[in-house]
Amino acid sequence: MANAPMFARAMGLPARLALYTLLCLGLMVVGSQFDAMKSFRSLAAGVINPIQAVLAKPFIYLGDMAEFFTVHGELVRENRELSNEQQRLAIQLQNYRLLQAENTQLRKLLHLPLPAGTRPLAAEITHIRPDPFDRRLTIDKGALEGVVAGRPVIDASGLVGQVTLVSPTSSEVSLLTSSEQAAPAMDQRNGLRLIVSGTGSDDLLEIRYLGQHADVRAGDVLVTSGIDGVYPAGIPVARVLRVEPQRQTPFARAVCEPIGEIGRHRHVLVLLEHHKAAK
Amino acid sequence: MKTEKPLVPQGPLLIAPASRRIVFGWLLLGFLANLLPWPDAWRWLIPDFTLVVMLYWCIHAPHVVQLGLAMLLGLLADITVGSLIGLHGLTYTLAAYAALILRRRLENFELAGRFLHLLPIFLGQQLLTLLLGLAFHEPDVDWRFLAIGMTSAVTWIPVAHLLDRLTGWTPEMRIEPADGNGRSAK
Repeated sequence: MANAPMFARAMGLPARLALYTLLCLGLMVVGSQFDAMKSFRSLAAGVINPIQAVLAKPFIYLGDMAEFFTVHGELVRENRELSNEQQRLAIQLQNYRLLQAENTQLRKLLHLPLPAGTRPLAAEITHIRPDPFDRRLTIDKGALEGVVAGRPVIDASGLVGQVTLVSPTSSEVSLLTSSEQAAPAMDQRNGLRLIVSGTGSDDLLEIRYLGQHADVRAGDVLVTSGIDGVYPAGIPVARVLRVEPQRQTPFARAVCEPIGEIGRHRHVLVLLEHHKAAK
Repeated sequence: MKTEKPLVPQGPLLIAPASRRIVFGWLLLGFLANLLPWPDAWRWLIPDFTLVVMLYWCIHAPHVVQLGLAMLLGLLADITVGSLIGLHGLTYTLAAYAALILRRRLENFELAGRFLHLLPIFLGQQLLTLLLGLAFHEPDVDWRFLAIGMTSAVTWIPVAHLLDRLTGWTPEMRIEPADGNGRSAK
């Protein structure tokens, strides 16, 4: 307290209050009545504004960051929506391709040259019997449309099978590959008559009793011969894969593959007799 | 074991008065807090941090914060707010005057009691600012800004608590009246 003044020369608190109050009131009067404070104010703003800008910077960054996360969330949501949409479209596209394939096959059926004396009846396969022993399928045309048991069923490329059971609105077709089916055929190359039988496998047929020296070679195309009165002549049936001589029997065996695309399409043609249609 | 409480704080209880550096540092912090980019829609709720810190130091460091400094801070506020120069200067000075008058009394109160004393000062300062602005040149005034008085007073509680802790001031340190009327010998 060595430097404390001996006499209180400072003004008292109320006196200072009065002084400062008067000063401020004076400033206010001057500021409100005249433009004297304008230049001072602009000078001060030149100092304050940069400070304010610097202080605002971190908050601007924070705002940007918040925006970044918002945008990120939006993008994630949008991405999810788009992938859902894409899946939906992929399913649609698949349906479209299916329809296109079906359309192609139906067009082929339409342009098929038909054996004389027959009338085609287009039928749709409604279901395939899940029978492990018997290869059959059901089509949606029956006796009402003139289907008769025994009529051949073909598709755009070849023989498929034979109608074996007829009900008014549907029929059952035994496939050529069914093991108890057989079709009289003819080697297209040399006219040799044969009988092609099913094996029970979807993509194999066989010629069971073939003479050891019969002129059948791999690659030969077999067509229906038409001599049995069931199948009209000239429908492609099978292509020979190989000929196997067998030890136990005096006969050889030829393994063939069916030409008709059995079980691959949804539409087939039933060949009806012409005179039935006239009725 | 009861000992008589000494007349003035002794030993570790005796703390040095807050230094100028600390006081000005905190005033600067309060001023910068006012400058922060508060959302405009909530302007009328944002407390006046400068005033809060200033009033605290008026009470706890009257050797630093006097009426003159209060007026300067008010003028600074005028510049930043953009109000008529002298408006905040006047109201800050009056608020500081009220705090300086109440200082001795306030030291005897806990935080809540001090809050109740300061609330009218904050509210009065804000009301006076608005009224003076209206009287001088502003055509209209947004009365919602009175809420600043309230929020400033509420903000004063945590600020005062924090500064009390930082400076080491506790109510036990207040200088008891020396007339020996028995209150100090509890």
